[in-house]
Amino acid sequence: MPRVDDVKSSRRMAELLRLAGYSAVALSIPTGLMRDRVSEVRRLFENEGIQTILRVDLSVNSRADLLRLLRRFRSAYDIVAVKCMNQAVASVACRDRRVDVVFFDPRNFRVKFAHPLASLLSGALEFNLISTFLGETKSEIFSRIAKEAAIAREHRSRVVLSSGCISPAMVRSPLQISAIATAIGLSSEQSSRGVRETPLSIVMSNQERRSREYVEEGVKLVTLKAR
Amino acid sequence: MSKRYFLVKTISETPLSGDQFEIALVASVRRLFGEFGVARIHPKVVRFDETSYEATVACNKEGAEDLQAAIGLISGISETTVTAMTIRVSGTIKGLRKRQGF
Repeated sequence: MPRVDDVKSSRRMAELLRLAGYSAVALSIPTGLMRDRVSEVRRLFENEGIQTILRVDLSVNSRADLLRLLRRFRSAYDIVAVKCMNQAVASVACRDRRVDVVFFDPRNFRVKFAHPLASLLSGALEFNLISTFLGETKSEIFSRIAKEAAIAREHRSRVVLSSGCISPAMVRSPLQISAIATAIGLSSEQSSRGVRETPLSIVMSNQERRSREYVEEGVKLVTLKAR
Repeated sequence: MSKRYFLVKTISETPLSGDQFEIALVASVRRLFGEFGVARIHPKVVRFDETSYEATVACNKEGAEDLQAAIGLISGISETTVTAMTIRVSGTIKGLRKRQGF
């Protein structure tokens, strides 16, 4: 999403999302943002008929910091995503069930999505396709993303496809995002699920977890009505 | 050889012509899939409406998925930021007309 104070861009983005055929959008909200500002941004999108889902992107350098932030923010957001900055953070993020989505910076060559991480992955792997490929892109980055896609395909990992857009000019339709994912080597099933079913299932399961009736996986409170 | 037709909505800061759009489209296909990809996909702008900035693009059926990706990665035309979004895909131009209304 654009900068929070850039109302014009946010409104334009909401219009384009509607034109592209989206019904919901995950907004990456900075953790320190005031609640009224969050509601203001959400209202801009909801006025265009786009449902908003709050997402936090955790970007940390150590395992301890990640665990601390997960304790603090898990219950406040619909989606928790972790940007894997190094191998230690990536191992924890892939294994921890509180993490919904992990993603890698394609320009950070210190850590990459490899077979050991794919077998650990409990959430989903995210590819930010438009922000990665738009404009001048080095062939090393194409190669790296293709390798990661091949690993995700081999392990049948759950994949979330997003644009990672920060400006209205980066908005693309779900069909286009799915086609780009197929072009980099994901299976057509993973590509089509990545723009719809997988994100939706993450949001639905988190909404269920955050409901008052939820106790733990497979256990929830049911109130019986008196006859 | 059977074709696929795309209805593409372009959003640009400055006025845009059909030729400029076609050059950008072919450049994007070439960047992603190379010269062989251009020959295989065979993208062609059939029609470009300079008032609504809607383009009808034709390609070979086998290259339709690849063209979809290439359209998504058009970022700019002669130093102007351009967004190109596929609105509809059809096997006939008539099928696109239902949406476009021309």
